[in-house]
Amino acid sequence: MLSVGIGVSLYRQLLRLYPAIYREQFADEMTAVFADVEADTLSKGKLARGVFWTREIAGIVGGILHEHWRALGGDSVGLCFPTRRFTMRTEFRFPKTTAALMTIILAGVVLAIKKGETISSSPVNPPIGPLPPTHSVLLGGIFLTLAFFYAAGMIGWAILFAMRRSGVHRLAETAGGPR
Amino acid sequence: MTLHDMAFYDMSSEAVMESLPLTEPVMLILLSLADQPRHGYSILKDIEQMSDRRVVLSTGTLYGALRRLLDDEWIERMEEEESSRGRQAYRLTRRGRSQLQLEVGRMKHLTRLANLRIAAKEA
Repeated sequence: MLSVGIGVSLYRQLLRLYPAIYREQFADEMTAVFADVEADTLSKGKLARGVFWTREIAGIVGGILHEHWRALGGDSVGLCFPTRRFTMRTEFRFPKTTAALMTIILAGVVLAIKKGETISSSPVNPPIGPLPPTHSVLLGGIFLTLAFFYAAGMIGWAILFAMRRSGVHRLAETAGGPR
Repeated sequence: MTLHDMAFYDMSSEAVMESLPLTEPVMLILLSLADQPRHGYSILKDIEQMSDRRVVLSTGTLYGALRRLLDDEWIERMEEEESSRGRQAYRLTRRGRSQLQLEVGRMKHLTRLANLRIAAKEA
């Protein structure tokens, strides 16, 4: 599994995607809390660590999108933005789309962990000879991943909209349903 | 002071109606801060304990909610000379406590109503 140092380093890289004002206010604190929570998971199994990473990445991606949306002036949603209202749905509902998305995210996490293991198991002393040029692919990869998921989400929504099964249609059906 | 009075304590009734009902993460964060100020890690652990591990927040979700609560002045950062940058504590403001009490009152009313309706159906 990913070592503590690599995990925190990866988390810091993800925090760089937040707006600057948010980062200035919370990045250090979030990193410290993340390090504490990650340390708690060290004694747990691989599954628990996988769930932890899935939850963290999903939370941070959602947070990044929301904070950028807010920075663009779209924060009329305020405290009502997060889902899971007491009045709107039960806690036990688990839509199929959520399961599919979580599987995709988990696959991404497992790939990241495998890559981290490869990096950490690479020889400490590099072979003698001219050093190859190095460059970071992490940020580009993150942007690419975000763009991929965004595009996948848009396509999924378009399909649902075309099938008249989107949230808007369901709401309209509910409003116009039997009285 | 009644719940109704509290609604007009420091905000208009319109503002109260807009902010209720609270989302579950926000409700649990406010509950966690109700008895004492806490740091981020302590809030996460307290929420896990309160919900029997049914609700486990990520750090991204927690700090997104804390940012909004700070903006709305429902919570505040504590002035602590000894605290490091990575260990800020938060506490409820009077406004936050009023909101929490209003929400608890709303839920009590809902529970009472639900019990009455269910009992009437069973009778």
